[in-house]
Amino acid sequence: MAHLLSYIIFIPLIGALTIAFLPKRLDAYYKWFALAALSLSFLLSLYGVFIFDQTASGPVNGLTHLQLIEKSEWFSFSLGSLGEISADYFLGVDGLNISLLLLAALVLLIGVVSSWNMTKHLKGYFALYLLLSSSVLGCFVALDFFLFYLFFEFMLLPMYFLIGIWGGPRKEYAAIKFFLYTLLGSIFILIVMIGLYNSVVDPLKTGEAAGLVTDGLSEAAYIELVQAKLQSGEIVASDYIKSFNMIFMADSGNFVPGSFLSHSGLAQIFGQPARWMAFMALMIGFAIKLPAFPFHTWLPDAHVEAPTPISVVLAGVLLKIGGYGIIRTAYAIFPDAAFHYAWLIGFFGVFSILYGAMNALAQKDLKKLIAYSSVSHMGFVLLGLAAMTVEGVSGAIYQMFSHGLISAMLFLIAGVLYDRTHDRMIENYAGLATRLPQFAVFTSIAFFASLGLPGFSGFIAEITVFIGAFKSDMANGAIPFWMPIVAAAGLVLAAGYYLWTLQRMFFGQFWVKDKDWLSNLTDLNKREYLMLAPLVVLILMFGVYPSLLFDLINASVMSFVEHISPVGP
Amino acid sequence: MLSNYFQSNIGLSDWLDVVSGSFLNLLPELALAITLVFLILFDLLFDKHKSIGLVLIALSGLTFVSFLLIKQWQPELAQISFFDDMLKQTNFAIVLKLLFSLAAIISVMMLATDRSSLMQRSLQSSEHLVMLMTLLLGSFFMTMTMNLVLIYLSIELVSIASYLITALLLNKKRAEAALKYLIFGAVASAFMLYGMSWLYGFTGTLQLDSDTFLAGLMEVPPMPLTLALLLTLVGLLFKLGAFPMHIWSPDVYEAAPTPVVSFFSVVPKIAAISVIFRIVQLSLNSNFDWALVLTIVSMASMVVGNFSAIWQKDVKRMLAYSSIAHAGFLLIGIIAQSETGNESMLIYAIIYAAMNYAAFWLVQLFEGISGTSEMSGWKGYGRQYPYLGVLFLITMVSLTGLPPTAGFNAKLFVFTALWESYISGGDQLLLWLFIFGLFNTVVSLFYYLKIPYLLFFKESSTLMDGQKVKVVDIFLGTILVSPLLVLFFKADWFVDLMNTVNFTF
Repeated sequence: MAHLLSYIIFIPLIGALTIAFLPKRLDAYYKWFALAALSLSFLLSLYGVFIFDQTASGPVNGLTHLQLIEKSEWFSFSLGSLGEISADYFLGVDGLNISLLLLAALVLLIGVVSSWNMTKHLKGYFALYLLLSSSVLGCFVALDFFLFYLFFEFMLLPMYFLIGIWGGPRKEYAAIKFFLYTLLGSIFILIVMIGLYNSVVDPLKTGEAAGLVTDGLSEAAYIELVQAKLQSGEIVASDYIKSFNMIFMADSGNFVPGSFLSHSGLAQIFGQPARWMAFMALMIGFAIKLPAFPFHTWLPDAHVEAPTPISVVLAGVLLKIGGYGIIRTAYAIFPDAAFHYAWLIGFFGVFSILYGAMNALAQKDLKKLIAYSSVSHMGFVLLGLAAMTVEGVSGAIYQMFSHGLISAMLFLIAGVLYDRTHDRMIENYAGLATRLPQFAVFTSIAFFASLGLPGFSGFIAEITVFIGAFKSDMANGAIPFWMPIVAAAGLVLAAGYYLWTLQRMFFGQFWVKDKDWLSNLTDLNKREYLMLAPLVVLILMFGVYPSLLFDLINASVMSFVEHISPVGP
Repeated sequence: MLSNYFQSNIGLSDWLDVVSGSFLNLLPELALAITLVFLILFDLLFDKHKSIGLVLIALSGLTFVSFLLIKQWQPELAQISFFDDMLKQTNFAIVLKLLFSLAAIISVMMLATDRSSLMQRSLQSSEHLVMLMTLLLGSFFMTMTMNLVLIYLSIELVSIASYLITALLLNKKRAEAALKYLIFGAVASAFMLYGMSWLYGFTGTLQLDSDTFLAGLMEVPPMPLTLALLLTLVGLLFKLGAFPMHIWSPDVYEAAPTPVVSFFSVVPKIAAISVIFRIVQLSLNSNFDWALVLTIVSMASMVVGNFSAIWQKDVKRMLAYSSIAHAGFLLIGIIAQSETGNESMLIYAIIYAAMNYAAFWLVQLFEGISGTSEMSGWKGYGRQYPYLGVLFLITMVSLTGLPPTAGFNAKLFVFTALWESYISGGDQLLLWLFIFGLFNTVVSLFYYLKIPYLLFFKESSTLMDGQKVKVVDIFLGTILVSPLLVLFFKADWFVDLMNTVNFTF
């Protein structure tokens, strides 16, 4: 199907506009529109995964391995002495983002189901939710930096309103904190974006401008020809067409020789090589989104105040944009710097794992506990990436996918409880298992999945990251041996806080703080089953049959590691 | 000027030909002056129900002026000097003048549609419109002059009209603001005049683009040159509303009627930028470090503007501080000192004008509905008027400089220009400005979001009388806000158009 990715992105947007212009008396139907739009997007992305060619391979900085490509010129103009600048409407998937696209579509769909009982300002809620969905989905498939940045930034606005209007008691504080933190991060990204598009040319368009003929050459060969001429200086500067294309940015051949961020460049900022600084800026920008220590402080606030569906989307999808951004931009564009800073990234990964886990251990609020466990689990993503091995990177992607499912489930569970009692304090409950047996089963599954019990997807993800991280010391020397060993303590801590919470809340004599809650404390209803059961199935499925996902991403991860690692996969 | 006549051997009639020939280049300005006279005459001849007539005269006059300006437009226009080189027609000036007259048209429409009884009274006589036209005329000349005295005169023309228009419909607040404005402005003018007299003393000419001017400057030692140029800059920064000459603007913005403020925040500011641009370009090779001085001014303006704006409770005061911060961003284009810089400065100026007009138009509308320009009085109005609330949101996002709005492109272009200059020159100062300026965006988000926050997050404290918004208001609002989106999603035609502007003098 042509324009599949566009349909996936824009169907929710059309849904949002439809809802915005529907009359108010139809407000009982808004959720159906939202459900329909996101179901459609989900089915289409499922279809996308289905037709995705797992065997397609090619260098990660080339166009050959990309699928479902949509590319048309968005704007192109010349600005002063800078020369021609062009940005494309460029979408595509490969192994690095196809799984995340599917995850996003799924979690967003589940989010709608969990918003079913929303009563306040329905029109605004569902319109904003669909707007958010569009930009999240767009973020995962955009391969042009300008387009990516548009989606990345645009996501903040609906999120700001969703937290700030429909959130808890300190919603305003949490909303503006979320916005300011993420905006701060995106300024770092913007700085690098400006630096990059000033240094990179689009070989296809530049070749055309320089009058190089394409006849008989494949696209890849043509690009090589243009790059050779570019590097040898045979193409004059007036023919350069600067590009925002992220794929081209990952190829050293497309950098203007001697330009600021070029690979051979001797340019320095504050006494450091410019490429290292640019990499660091991207890392900080996306680490805020991820979030990793020490940029994580917005997350607990946002989670605690956000309504349940928004927490689900935030933990399930938005955090993954941070990880995906690191993979697609920071690592792919600056592999040299990534290797240089591997130790630091690994260190912050390990630190986040432990720090998040210890914080989780100390929380009294169930949602805060889950939020800190997210910080801890996202640390594995950093650790896996820092290892720069195939296992490490696969594990990082697997962890993002698996955490997307598990954290969505965890927040849904917190929401189920909150819906009934409007209280999330762990200490206010005991022995819930006797009163709510089915709820207790689902909670146990989610907790065990999250703490990494074999048989659940979290286990596969974490074990793969560990294998990758252990291998790294011998294979490429990116991170030392002790890092995975120390990180393993995070697993113990995770078991600690989850089991302890389970024991406190669900086992023992039934007791709740407020007797008024008793009448509301009923077991799961059908709708809640509908949200939780598919997640359980998926978590188990990816726990016992990991090749479902690994096969999907493997070819791309191989070429990605070949691209970033100094010694290859 | 006359000295040329006496020195040259051409006859008086030839000289008159030169003068009358020059008037052909001045048709828009003449049309504007005639409109002005018509306004006064109409006011004198008719007695009652004048407002419609006055507005019609002003609008048709301005439309005609715009028409004449468009007729003057030529891509890649080689400059035309006239009136003995005192004025110079470039298409850079024409673009700005067109922008100004569009701004004036919108301001007049804002005056005409203002609901408050005070403003209804203001159209009973022609004073507001006449002052507005005078301001416009002065700004037109500011974009064209190449002569120090004419710069001074045109700035004074703008200033005096500004003082008067602030003081019209006098009340206590306005009296205070107008007096502050007047005293501050007079001091600034005096400084500038003093600086100009030094420049004249150094070079023996008032003509900025003459060779002797630059040659004269080159011979001056750095200390006195710095003093002279700094003094001159003071007067221009006053009009620009940039640090350290910004102190008047919050009071004036708060006190003056909103349509007038919208004009203040755009036209004299951009005219001042064009004058600074010319002076910087023509004295670039002298011993004066423009980059350093303007970087300091730019950074300080951003800091003062953004951090003061956070604490404001009045929307118009907040927008005043926001415009101080934007003055800092406008200067970045000049600091970059490159083709990219020039072009991105112009683009920024145009987008800034569009953003500010959208913002002030909405401010006036909400002021009319709620009866106050205090932010706290606007609680919950976004829920009552969701469409207008969304328009306001887009405008504020654009002023912050986030996608998907034109404000983002404007910032992207200026900072790209700055980046380019840093790369080519390696001046650390520019890098600091680059980083500093971009991170200021985060600070500005905090206060720009306050308005959508109050409009949407808060419940209204008072019972609303359910005042209907007129369809024409919604229509005009859409027209004013739509450029902010169009110039983001489809910017190429606009940038291509700006490419045809000629920035050399």
